[in-house]
Amino acid sequence: MKKKDSEKQLEALKIETEKALIEQIRRLLRLPMNKRTNFLRVRLHGGGSSL
Amino acid sequence: MHCHNSNEFDIIKSRTMNAELLLVKIAYAIHKSRLCAVMIGNAGAALHGAPVTTLDIDFMFRKTAGDLKKLREIADTLSAYILKPFYPVSGLYRIINDNIGLQLDFMSEVHGIKSFESLQSRAVGVDFNGNSILVADLEDIIISKKTAARPQDIAVITLLEAVLDEKKRQRETT
Repeated sequence: MKKKDSEKQLEALKIETEKALIEQIRRLLRLPMNKRTNFLRVRLHGGGSSL
Repeated sequence: MHCHNSNEFDIIKSRTMNAELLLVKIAYAIHKSRLCAVMIGNAGAALHGAPVTTLDIDFMFRKTAGDLKKLREIADTLSAYILKPFYPVSGLYRIINDNIGLQLDFMSEVHGIKSFESLQSRAVGVDFNGNSILVADLEDIIISKKTAARPQDIAVITLLEAVLDEKKRQRETT
């Protein structure tokens, strides 16, 4: 029973994640191409990177 | 004491979130040199609307003597230097300016792209403050990533295909 509940939760989470991704893409597509520029990560001293 | 001029400082501040000012400088440098190059990779995909990030900006170009000279002009305009990281086999030229975190990779060969001319014919021009940067068609970027098939390429293919599907869906409904 518990396993079924967790499967349902995972399925619901997957659907919500996909919806959020599509909405993010639609928001980006509403911008002109020269404004879709939040993609550059910055190298940090000592390794790694950040937005 | 290390000093930046105000223009460089503006770029550093904005670059932490937004590449727009950097792209304005790059578009100007490419225009000034008259180099014909097409943006590919995650930067190109991001301009097409993909929610992806990158540390560098990739371009495909023709490796001719004239175009190599133009690359040096671009590096000069951007106060940058050129590295050839995988000498002598690779056609990769890397333009770097550490002060502003600029890394541009110019490649003469790209996985899955048969010719520069075919890539260029499908590319779209994007205006940055009056100068245009050619950006590869999203389908070409996807083909290139599928062919390269490195883990970092495979990781974003689903995202890029989702953008392509959404664009097609929007075209069909308008």
